Amino acid sequence: MTADASDLSLVQRVQRGDKGAFDVLVLKYQHKVVKLVMRYVRNPAEAEDIAQDAFIKAYRALPQFRGDSAFYTWLYRIAINTAKNAVVARDRNPVDFDLDMTNNDESYEMQGRLKDSETPEALVLTDEIRTTVNAAIANLPDDLRTAIVLRELEGLSYEEIAATMDCPVGTVRSRIFRAREAIDSRLREVFEGGLGRAEEIG
Amino acid sequence: MSKEELESQLSAMFDDELPGEECELLARRLARDEQLRERWGRYAAIGACIRGEPGVRLQTTLAGKVSAALKQESAQNGVPATDRHRHGWVRPWVTSLAGLASAAAVAAVAILWMRSEAPALVAHNAPVQNPPAPSLQSLPATAPQLAAVSPAVRVHQSHEPDSYVTPAAVAQAPSLVPPTELANYIVAHSAYSGPLMRRNALSALVAGDSAAPQVNAQPIPAVVTGK
Repeated sequence: MTADASDLSLVQRVQRGDKGAFDVLVLKYQHKVVKLVMRYVRNPAEAEDIAQDAFIKAYRALPQFRGDSAFYTWLYRIAINTAKNAVVARDRNPVDFDLDMTNNDESYEMQGRLKDSETPEALVLTDEIRTTVNAAIANLPDDLRTAIVLRELEGLSYEEIAATMDCPVGTVRSRIFRAREAIDSRLREVFEGGLGRAEEIG
Repeated sequence: MSKEELESQLSAMFDDELPGEECELLARRLARDEQLRERWGRYAAIGACIRGEPGVRLQTTLAGKVSAALKQESAQNGVPATDRHRHGWVRPWVTSLAGLASAAAVAAVAILWMRSEAPALVAHNAPVQNPPAPSLQSLPATAPQLAAVSPAVRVHQSHEPDSYVTPAAVAQAPSLVPPTELANYIVAHSAYSGPLMRRNALSALVAGDSAAPQVNAQPIPAVVTGK
């Protein structure tokens, strides 16, 4: 059974009324959908709202999903349409600015920057996470670092990585897992007690 | 299964590299294991950092928000969205059948009404027998009186037909449903009835209305006096 087939299995469980199965699908694809939506909107919070709408639309439309295409292809189409509609709606109803404020270039520029990124606290936290992850990757053994970078940056499959690194697929799987565990362990050390803060800001 | 093996499976599932059967089992576990879900979120953050994506977060609340929104929606509507849509194909058929049933019921009422009215209408259109004209013998044979004899009597005398009769203003028998209300009912349900049936029923009602008595109308004389 492939990943598509396992998705189909989850979809069929949702169609039978198992909401937990849909939670798993959301969990599995939320980051990919948010990333996809970020091509249309630059604000991560807005992207997350749009992704949420897309998942809700997908849930409503799931009874009509017959598995003719892969679930993620179908979900991505919904997400793209939702993002396009959101952009059109936003352009139709632009945010009104106070006339006095539009004369103040500095205030206007600050509003634009806040709209494009996030709150200052969130920006700092993102930098902290990035620094921690990069440092952890730098400390990884070469074989683990190569495996995780080929997977995450180049998007290669385990089989392709195995061919590149001249090792069995099982070894690739193990290396990627150990690389993730090492980075995750470092993240938990740095942000121990701070993960709740990350959630609040996020 | 050891914790490490479970986390190894999670990592493979994250990369869509876990065999389907294992994926299914892990998905069930994931649905109820908060720590596994948090780990999944951190794996996503690690990938985003490596790719240099903006807005990296260790934990996202999206799954929780979606779940909460769906729960709220189903609580408001009483029926889960998937259940509504699963049975959504039934609704048009039920609506159509209900519409057809309504149209058939209207048609049946209209036909029964027309049938029940038919004898009354026949009787209503039948010639009204005028009271017999007094015989000449019983009348005083005075000239003024003869001059005052009604034209009907003169007709009788000339061996012409007794009378040209027009329908008398006989009160119509009350129907079960007033025609106006029945017409409104047919129009209101016209979306579900065939045009021909609707037209026939309305024609019948119009005919019924035209035959119906005017409440304040003067009674029509039973006998045509002109000749």
